Amino acid sequence: MNIDQLCSQLGFVRSKGGVVEIPSAELAERAQALTAANVPLAFMYATDERALGAGFAVHAVFSLAGSGFLTLSSALDADAPAYPSLTRTTMAAHWYERLMGDQFGIVAEGHPDWRRLMHHENIPVGTYPLRKDFAWNTKLAQAKEPYPMHQVEGKGIYEIPVGPIHAGVIEPGHFRFNVRGERILALEGKLFFTHKGVEKLVEGKTPEEAMRFVERISGDMVVGHTLAYAEAVERAVGHTITPRAARLRVVWSELERISGHVFDIGNMAGNGTGFTFMAAQGFRMLEELRRLYESLVGHRYLRGAIVLGGAYDIEEDAQEQLRSQLEKTERELKTILNIAFQSDGLMERFETTGVLSQAAARAYGARGIGARGSNIPADVRRDHPYAAYAELPFAVVTEPAGDVAARFKVRAREVTQSLALIRAALASMPEGSAVSTVTIKQGDALGWAESFRGAVIDFVRLDAQGKIDRLAVSDPSFMNWPLFGELGPGNIVPDFPLCNKSLGLSYSGTDL
Amino acid sequence: MTAMLFILQGSTTLALAPLMVGFVRFFKARFQNRRGAPPWLPYVSLWSLFAKEMTITRYSSWVFRSVPFVVAGVAVLLAFSVPTFAYGVIPEPLSNLFFIGGLFALGSVWLVLGGMDAASTFGNMGSSREMTLAAFVEPALYLGLSTIASAAGVWSLDGMLAHSASTPWEAGVLPLAFTFGALLLVVLAENARYPVDNPATHLELTMVHEAMVLEYSGPYLAFLEYASAVKLLVTTLFLFALVLPFGLVHAGASPLWAVVWYAVRFLLAAFTVASIESMIVKMRFYRMQEYFSLAFFVALAGLALVLLQRGIF
Repeated sequence: MNIDQLCSQLGFVRSKGGVVEIPSAELAERAQALTAANVPLAFMYATDERALGAGFAVHAVFSLAGSGFLTLSSALDADAPAYPSLTRTTMAAHWYERLMGDQFGIVAEGHPDWRRLMHHENIPVGTYPLRKDFAWNTKLAQAKEPYPMHQVEGKGIYEIPVGPIHAGVIEPGHFRFNVRGERILALEGKLFFTHKGVEKLVEGKTPEEAMRFVERISGDMVVGHTLAYAEAVERAVGHTITPRAARLRVVWSELERISGHVFDIGNMAGNGTGFTFMAAQGFRMLEELRRLYESLVGHRYLRGAIVLGGAYDIEEDAQEQLRSQLEKTERELKTILNIAFQSDGLMERFETTGVLSQAAARAYGARGIGARGSNIPADVRRDHPYAAYAELPFAVVTEPAGDVAARFKVRAREVTQSLALIRAALASMPEGSAVSTVTIKQGDALGWAESFRGAVIDFVRLDAQGKIDRLAVSDPSFMNWPLFGELGPGNIVPDFPLCNKSLGLSYSGTDL
Repeated sequence: MTAMLFILQGSTTLALAPLMVGFVRFFKARFQNRRGAPPWLPYVSLWSLFAKEMTITRYSSWVFRSVPFVVAGVAVLLAFSVPTFAYGVIPEPLSNLFFIGGLFALGSVWLVLGGMDAASTFGNMGSSREMTLAAFVEPALYLGLSTIASAAGVWSLDGMLAHSASTPWEAGVLPLAFTFGALLLVVLAENARYPVDNPATHLELTMVHEAMVLEYSGPYLAFLEYASAVKLLVTTLFLFALVLPFGLVHAGASPLWAVVWYAVRFLLAAFTVASIESMIVKMRFYRMQEYFSLAFFVALAGLALVLLQRGIF
């Protein structure tokens, strides 16, 4: 089924831009119909249209695998923006609706868990930073608003508050465990301690200037974010990149996937369980890859690899260096993975720990490893091919068990596939230029890319001057953090760090 | 002579305890392809902790402040009452296995109280886990030591070492192989090492021993760290002296080999702990009963062997 058939079946009329305008009262039931038709909600964002003489608008993006994304848009009132909540029937909308409440003051009426999300206690009521009339450098008064968290009461039940400052070198995040003995009964995270205001800061900047901000959304996911953003800008202005650039984008993306997975493999098996061998070897291999990236593009985390209109070129002799390092990495990774899989102690820690059911993963709209480890074959590289993925051989890796072991295996298998993809892309690399000039003009579009954590989806709207009017970024970590509430309970407290590492989420990417 | 040896043995233990921790870390680093810090780093760390100021929460009682002294006091007593390279020098009551077991328990209980006193969640979690483990450790500990005691015919650790040293190796040590295996498992657990606890972790949620001392800082923390170093040294060196009773010093003779054999056992003990920690994975907390059941039944098998050998069955 393609989008046109879907629209005619559901009676949708698409506008010129491919968007379906829906009265806000109907949004929730339409969303439910789409979800029931196996077209899940992928992304929600809001826009402030008051400068155009309208009010606010809320947009819900649905993913129809193999055919594209379908956006439902509803215009909302300028003074009291509100619409019936989608969360009552579509769990994946849960955090998005709370986020839009904080960012725009748009009320999702009937939301079952209507609390603050991004705004902590210190943000005064009525602070809506993404409204156009909110200046980015506004100095806020110190407030003390309630930020209640889930709580279980009963005999022998106690709370464990962890963080936001942690002992290791990781980002800040607060976790609240409700525990009986060692068994977790309920678990909730309080994130958003690292707000950078990227979405606000890029408004009014040219797409080229905004690139520097997008590169810094999540430190280790540079290619994932820049690629989704570049694809969105290029689609908005109708630019097509060269075939060489498309191949190069595959190479850079898969390189980032390899280093991301090698880190997670070392981190899960090493730091998560205390199997020091895996951490030592994994981090050593990661360092070799970072040095390779530095020699290829001049940055250890691949900043500058993706540019508007193309990608950083890899010359013939650099390709040779790349191949030989990847061969070494592949050989060594195979050896240490063999040791890992043969270690009964390690597998015993992994198996049956942190089980995420397929139903829960589907309902929450889990992305990337979180979805594929629970047997959901979601991967935008195949579902909505971009760059040169449609021309290269690859299959979506899934594992059925949904536990930590399954997520470990998905990573191990994906690295092998990434290596094959890079080799195929290099072998079929066409001659020509790697970058073409993008002519910026007015327009809007979605862009997406499968980062090593999962799909990044960006919405970009450029105004008449070619400046960014709205950039909405959907990071896979934002979709996957709420999964902890599902996979944590039932596990014992000392296993939580392992569950956490098995999803390998970013705090910075969640909090733009 | 005996008194001098008694003092020498105790002070050697007290002096070298941080070095043992340093060597374990050094070997672990080498196992992980790292160069590692020099083995004497723990001395520097202790020194700098002593130079630091302490932060003590006002929501704590005198119990919190007394813990470092009790635990360090227990460590000093242990240093003098557990033989590491000499036998025939420690008075019987001081080295009685139930007295030593009691000392261990005293240290653990005060540590547990210290973990609970400041009422922090992590401290209480660590204390709860420590008491759970303590209940599992004791059966295997006493069974293992009693087996050696019944083979040696004495109840003192000092006498056990004397028995090991005076009987031929094949006749004295080999029949006790099971017991040593069981005691090694106990020693790892007692010292908060793998697979029971991870002394190097930064993950508060998984800690046992470290969680109990999280609230301590400065000199008090130094006391506690020093005490756990002493405990590691006496338990591992006593066990290795039983297994390799060569070059042991006693009232009548001080072989030239003593220093060499002491160094060999010292390094071997550090190397063994480091290699175990590098090769195995920390166990899931809910598997601990299986680990300690293993220790208990191996100790029981050792006891059965010894009783069979002596024709009791």
